[in-house]
Amino acid sequence: MQLRPLLLAVFFALAVSAVSADAAQAVWSGLVIAENVPQPTPIPPELTKLEPTLKELFGYNQFEVIGQSNKTLKTGQEDWLANSKYFGLHVDARGENDSGYALNLKLYKENDVLLETDATLSKSSPLVIKGPQVGSGQLLLVLVVKDDEQAHRRRHAEPANPITAGWHRLRRIIHNVIP
Amino acid sequence: MKTFEEKWTAWLDGQLSGKELIEFEATLPDLAVAEAEKRDAQKLGSFLKQQLGAQILSNAEFFSHQLHERIARDTQDRHRPTSTWWTIPRLVWSGATALALFVITTVVLMNQHQPGEQSEYLTQILNSRVDPAANPNATIYIFESKNDNKVTVLWTEGLQTLPADYAAK
Repeated sequence: MQLRPLLLAVFFALAVSAVSADAAQAVWSGLVIAENVPQPTPIPPELTKLEPTLKELFGYNQFEVIGQSNKTLKTGQEDWLANSKYFGLHVDARGENDSGYALNLKLYKENDVLLETDATLSKSSPLVIKGPQVGSGQLLLVLVVKDDEQAHRRRHAEPANPITAGWHRLRRIIHNVIP
Repeated sequence: MKTFEEKWTAWLDGQLSGKELIEFEATLPDLAVAEAEKRDAQKLGSFLKQQLGAQILSNAEFFSHQLHERIARDTQDRHRPTSTWWTIPRLVWSGATALALFVITTVVLMNQHQPGEQSEYLTQILNSRVDPAANPNATIYIFESKNDNKVTVLWTEGLQTLPADYAAK
């Protein structure tokens, strides 16, 4: 009889930890101008991991962020805007599933929609969209799912919850077994 | 020295013989009546033997009979099927059904990820559109980067080129 409340508590803790772990994620979306210049500025920190890929794909040596948004997703239903002077990237999140976040993206040039796409943004796979040529450079749209900074810091400051760690380990094993 | 009753009983049973028989019959007052009584007694004896002899059991026979009945009852109980639902055929069928369900589930799960299909670990582009009026020759390609970053790229060609002023923050 005393086992039932204990099991309920364990499942509740697992559910809360799983939800909190999933909720602590943010989508960074940026409008980036890629150019070849004699003295390139350092790449923004949000693009550091992608630098080799971007250079390999587009052949430019500088990547400058002209507009960005860092949106923490709690329900997966939010929408937001990353703006520069002339461009706007409207992102409409339409829910979350096992594959990632379902997004509708619209690239505006002032009031005109240049490009619209529906995508499922995976938490482990950034999305790069090649936009129009701008002067001698290239407009790029970049979307990356990253861990929320506060949650990231909190996770490092606090000792790991063994139940949560076990739960994540089990999820990884299941993902590995059934890709 | 036998009494008269003893000799009478022995005479009725035909146990007297020789000199003893002659002497006893000589003491009887009416031999013909006694002979008739002897025949009646023998008839009665044989009748009683017929009617009662088969039913009367000695103690040993009685217990032996009881024991046989008990053994027969126990044997019947042992051979009677138990009332549990999990009979051998049902166990076999349940096992086969569970195995079939496992195989079907495995096959379905394996077939959900077709070769060539984008992995759920990669960002998937479901559809894309460009304004055909402003960019009539635009084309769109989708591919994944070859390195470890697993970047999904939506590559557009033929979009209208914009002046450098549009790069302003």
